[in-house]
Amino acid sequence: MAAIEIDGVRKRYGQVQAVDDLSFTVAAGRVTGFLGPNGAGKSTTLRMLLGLVRPDGGTATFGGRRYEELEHPSAQVGAVLEDASFHPGRSGRNHLRVLAAAGGHPPRRVDEVLEHVGLTPARDRRVKGYSMGMRQRLALAAALLGDPEVLVLDEPTNGLDPPGIRWMRGLLRAEAQRGRAVVVSSHLLAEVAQSVDDVVVIAHGALRAEGTLETVLGSAGGPVTRVRTPDAERLAAALRERELAPEPAGSGALRVPATTDAVGLAAHEAGVAVLELTALSQSLEDAFFALTDQGA
Amino acid sequence: MGALLTAELIKLRTTRTFVALAATAVVLSLLLTILTAALTEPTASSVRSDVFESDLTTLFILVLAVVGISGEWRHRTITSSLLAAPDRVRFMLAKTLAYAAAGVALSVLITVAVDVAGMVILSARDQPTPPAGDLVDLAWRNFVLAALLGCLGVGVGALVRNQPVAIVGLLALGFIVEPVLLGLAPSVGRFGPLVGLPSGVTESDIGDGTADLFAPGLALALLVAWVVLLVGLGTLLLRRRDVDGG
Repeated sequence: MAAIEIDGVRKRYGQVQAVDDLSFTVAAGRVTGFLGPNGAGKSTTLRMLLGLVRPDGGTATFGGRRYEELEHPSAQVGAVLEDASFHPGRSGRNHLRVLAAAGGHPPRRVDEVLEHVGLTPARDRRVKGYSMGMRQRLALAAALLGDPEVLVLDEPTNGLDPPGIRWMRGLLRAEAQRGRAVVVSSHLLAEVAQSVDDVVVIAHGALRAEGTLETVLGSAGGPVTRVRTPDAERLAAALRERELAPEPAGSGALRVPATTDAVGLAAHEAGVAVLELTALSQSLEDAFFALTDQGA
Repeated sequence: MGALLTAELIKLRTTRTFVALAATAVVLSLLLTILTAALTEPTASSVRSDVFESDLTTLFILVLAVVGISGEWRHRTITSSLLAAPDRVRFMLAKTLAYAAAGVALSVLITVAVDVAGMVILSARDQPTPPAGDLVDLAWRNFVLAALLGCLGVGVGALVRNQPVAIVGLLALGFIVEPVLLGLAPSVGRFGPLVGLPSGVTESDIGDGTADLFAPGLALALLVAWVVLLVGLGTLLLRRRDVDGG
């Protein structure tokens, strides 16, 4: 059974269909990137999963049980949400003491997770004096309090500096290697590409792609070839006869949405010399834009 | 439930708001008692109401409870609270019990301070002092009121998320609306949860002392009904409400 199963969830806010019949699964022992542009419905989906927002339809479950039905929710699921907020007058340590008490976790866990996220020196400072990055670390410490089997992280790198982002990536990988299911949302594919195994891409509340990172990137746009020739006009005509659609790419080159084999054969049959034949790999951004209907 | 109650009590103790408001309640109650004990000459029959009814717990625990629950929305800590306690009925119950307990604790503190100060000053001035039984009787009534108004504040704060509106609204009700109603239409004003019914519970004279208050037992029952109504509605609203990021 999947660690997380989202099955046909829907949510409408007034005229806006925030999430539309969305289904996907998250496996244990893997980091799953939950991707989509701002406003795609990622946070709403995660909030429905965590019982904070009531779906209009469908189910969102952990091992077959809704969050509210879990016996010890914070010991089974740790969550960092985008608007992670704290009482400004309470110290980081006291914030965790409250959550540890509510979740029935031993008080020693508070200092352990503070150490784990590197906040021990600031543990007795009031949260209003924390930087954005420190708040994110505190939110993560709260998620780790119960040593949960599943981590749900909504834009966890917001506010982190480059070393912090690197640290976060390492932590996600380490948690997955321990067998945890980790789902991490982001509106930037490049930001999570180095740390995820699987991706789920949504746009306008609907699923656009699901699978391993390589599979999804491969399906995003198909092969593209750059070909340079002394007679670009003749080669372009030959390619159009084969229902390919070449585009000028400067310096006598063409960009063709086809494999190098197809372009090479077309050039050979047209009797055109080829000076360069290169398979172009799509950038992460290209693939992401293609999947989410965003303009470049 | 014990874990959630413990968590709520830690929340209470770990912000300066609670400490500051509780200290203010103690100081003001003590000041009123010291002034009346030192400057007035009460009779044996009036000494209890003149000197020993300066327990301001109800006002302060009401404000603290409103701040406590509406602050969950204001500071958006409601998200982490409900992640730790996804059963929203249990969350509200724990919050309500925590403020009831806090109200009693504050009232005990103020009662001891007021009683000691009042008795010492009156004795030193050779003024009449109330029998111990009267003070014990007043104390338990104050404890019950403090607990109930702590609960009431949680209900109001759950219904009115906007903290300033909730606090100003309650203060206006307690200092303006209910007193005016008691003066103009006591048969209506005596149902008030902030002045009318609490005065009935403590058998206090209010205004010109002519208001026709409910007997203590009935006043207590009606105040409990107010608490059940407001906390119940607040819980219902919380259960139906989406906790989104906005």
